[in-house]
Amino acid sequence: MKLEDYKVVFVAVGLVGILLFASPALALVLHLPAGEKFSALYVLGPGHMLEGYPYNVSAGGEYLVYLGVGNHLGNAAYYEVLVKLRNSSDALPNSTLGVASDLPVLYRYEAFLADGQTWEGALSFSFSNVGFGENVSSVGMVRFNDVWVEVNKNAVWDSVNSGYFYQLVAELWLYDTTSDSFSFHNRFVTRWLNMTAPV
Amino acid sequence: MLKRVLKASLCFMLALVLAGLFLRSCFVVRGVDDAAASVADADVAVRRAFNATLDAERAGANVSGLLVRLNDAGVVLGEAEVALNNGNLSDAAGKAGTCISIAQSVVSDAGVLRASALDGARMVFWTYLAFSVVGIGVFVVVLAVVWRRFKRGYVGNVLGMKPEVKHNEA
Repeated sequence: MKLEDYKVVFVAVGLVGILLFASPALALVLHLPAGEKFSALYVLGPGHMLEGYPYNVSAGGEYLVYLGVGNHLGNAAYYEVLVKLRNSSDALPNSTLGVASDLPVLYRYEAFLADGQTWEGALSFSFSNVGFGENVSSVGMVRFNDVWVEVNKNAVWDSVNSGYFYQLVAELWLYDTTSDSFSFHNRFVTRWLNMTAPV
Repeated sequence: MLKRVLKASLCFMLALVLAGLFLRSCFVVRGVDDAAASVADADVAVRRAFNATLDAERAGANVSGLLVRLNDAGVVLGEAEVALNNGNLSDAAGKAGTCISIAQSVVSDAGVLRASALDGARMVFWTYLAFSVVGIGVFVVVLAVVWRRFKRGYVGNVLGMKPEVKHNEA
């Protein structure tokens, strides 16, 4: 090997060494791109599993589901989970346009989550003032976690699926520090409930 | 005379009852307004506390404890809203007050954590920068010294070589 070749080796070793010594300071300035940022919203059955969801419901019955939120936004987040009740003719949230449902909010959860943290809240509910007419059923009151709310909602007989169907809707809203307000985070979950007469 | 006194008394009592009804409705409306304002203030306080927490987190502070307290404040705020909707005004105002005091303590602690985190980050930055600058300097000097010695040794070796004579046997 010639002297010039050794010089190249020394220069290469020098550059690698300089990079190694500079890496602690560089790490403070350079930030690698973070992974995908997202939030998760889910609903679980009474046993904290993806099964056993209430389906056939009636006045006076006690039902339970769990709502869960996962924060993967890379920072702490302030969420609201809004619970609504719809029938088959009411509009669902529009995930394409990112617009929430215009149904009234019946129950509200607030959750402050660190990045990577999940939250689960129990949602127990029951119905009262339930009536059945000719091909129509009506629900007067719904109780969510000890809070009675007047809903006065009707559902017509669904001859295809044989039932009077209501749908529990949970929407995820996220607090935006810039606008100082909550905005629909384009996540929602639903569960169909078939209203039946008590046996 | 007695009849006139009775009539006047009756009118006075009627006026008193009417005034009482009017004032009662005034007081109830005022009470609803006050309770609603307290709950709205609590909502604003919680948002402000979250903003302070987020600032502390961006500065590098560990805010998990603050988030736990914010969740407590959120639960109390929810209870205040339920109490307000149920017409339980004193309970709503009381819970709103509790919520505001939790939120204020979070804001205060978030400020302390943020300042502490910024101090720590500044310290880490200067330590790392000093390590890098000194490390690079020492490394370059050592490498230059090694190179000079190596070069001297190499040149000495080359100059000290003797030509080797080989016979051509062919």
